[in-house]
Amino acid sequence: MDVVVVGGGLAGASAIGTLRAEGFDGRLTLIGDESVPPYERPPLSKEYLRGEATEPQWVRPAEWYQENDVELRLGLRADRVVADERAVLLADGSSVPFDRLLVATGVRNRRFEVPGIDLEGVFDIRFLPDADRVRQTALGASRAVIVGAGFIGCEVAASFRQMGLEVTVVEFFETPLFRVIGADLGVAVEALHRDRGVGFVFGDAVERFEGAGRFEAVVTKGGRRIEGDLAVVGVGTKADPPLGLGDRNGGIPVNPMLETRTEGVFAAGDIADHAHPVFGQIRVEHYDNAIKMGETAARNMLGAEIVFDDPHWFWSDQYDSQIQMAGYATEWDDMVVRGSIEDRTFSAFLLKDGVLRSTFSMDRKFDVRRSMPLITAQARPARALLADPEFDLRQLHPAKGAS
Amino acid sequence: MSEWVKVASAGDVAEGEINAYLAGNRTVAVANVDGDLQAFDDTCTHQGCSLSEGELDGTIVECPCHGGRYDVMTGEVVGGPPPEPVDVFDVVEEDGELRIRTRDDD
Repeated sequence: MDVVVVGGGLAGASAIGTLRAEGFDGRLTLIGDESVPPYERPPLSKEYLRGEATEPQWVRPAEWYQENDVELRLGLRADRVVADERAVLLADGSSVPFDRLLVATGVRNRRFEVPGIDLEGVFDIRFLPDADRVRQTALGASRAVIVGAGFIGCEVAASFRQMGLEVTVVEFFETPLFRVIGADLGVAVEALHRDRGVGFVFGDAVERFEGAGRFEAVVTKGGRRIEGDLAVVGVGTKADPPLGLGDRNGGIPVNPMLETRTEGVFAAGDIADHAHPVFGQIRVEHYDNAIKMGETAARNMLGAEIVFDDPHWFWSDQYDSQIQMAGYATEWDDMVVRGSIEDRTFSAFLLKDGVLRSTFSMDRKFDVRRSMPLITAQARPARALLADPEFDLRQLHPAKGAS
Repeated sequence: MSEWVKVASAGDVAEGEINAYLAGNRTVAVANVDGDLQAFDDTCTHQGCSLSEGELDGTIVECPCHGGRYDVMTGEVVGGPPPEPVDVFDVVEEDGELRIRTRDDD
């Protein structure tokens, strides 16, 4: 059997590791459009950006691929999957046959269509060379403007402050992470950054980037002019062209077991538009999800029939605070807080009709992870237990094997 | 061959818990899995976080930083980002002492 993985990011790398660990000994090919083997992206806005890590965090040591007989085909873009011929067409015109295929091509940063976006000194970050360019520029800079107070914007803001830059963040909504956690919790993230000297402009948006030849200032729709030596834009993503397997979300629709409508063709990671058994149709762009989907897709390619029901965990390190979140809630009618939002040591449990949908925490190490089985089980935990910092949520976990 | 090192009193690790001890020049985690002790290197091979700060679920320990999962019986990676397994060590409770024997001399 020939297994082909398209996409050299974390999901693809995770899948090939699991395939070999599970004893698959057939031909295994990884096709990636970046020129380097799989690496982890989270450090690109943190340790790697700040220069504390000089090497990328490689997913596997370079020799692993040879030792495990994985054919790495790097710097190659896949164009299209030809289902009838069981082959992937590459941009260079060649074609790669497969018996099982995993598509894990990820997403790109959304292009921010405003005047001046192409000025030198205006950046976004997704790939290794992006982080290299931003770090190089930041090292000689004193002021930075960040567009968007989502996770990337917040992490880059924190890194720049740690590098000694003045930082101003422009955000359309009223708090950081507003669309993820709402204003009640967003204020805690805002306070974290303000304590470290970050300036925020909320409720405003970029009209244009200005500069004579290179970036000098952001001009907002509200009429502000914010000067800086560089700007970093983090305004969301769009799915990569989905190789002819696409759908309404730009992603690739997969069933609960991560298989596309084409038999033997699976998708994992950011691009997978997954029929999640708890959350419904959903596409998420988290590190842990990429790893776990890769692991599950690998097992299912080998004939397992595992329903992927993980409740989506992620973390974000900002300064010395660790934010964690799990689950999925676009709306909630109740929020129970354990600990103190003001002290920024808390967990917030978001409930809808009494069902725990999502947990968010700052510097409470265990609550999010311990709440995950409850989210998957769509449990209705008592408010008083959620609110009690001493109560161990594991006591509410469904009995093993009785899900 | 390394020596047995006393790191604590017997009974120091409660069931379902993990403690970390310095044994020689290594930090060793000791997990109590249903009454049986298992010792393994405390340092996650992914980015160096302390596994004893993580969660023990049956025989699986989960790293608190980025979710790497190891089987504490063997040290093998069973999921998540760690590129390598962790070393496992001998551990006993004898004469009221918790003792660990690291296997290498580094």
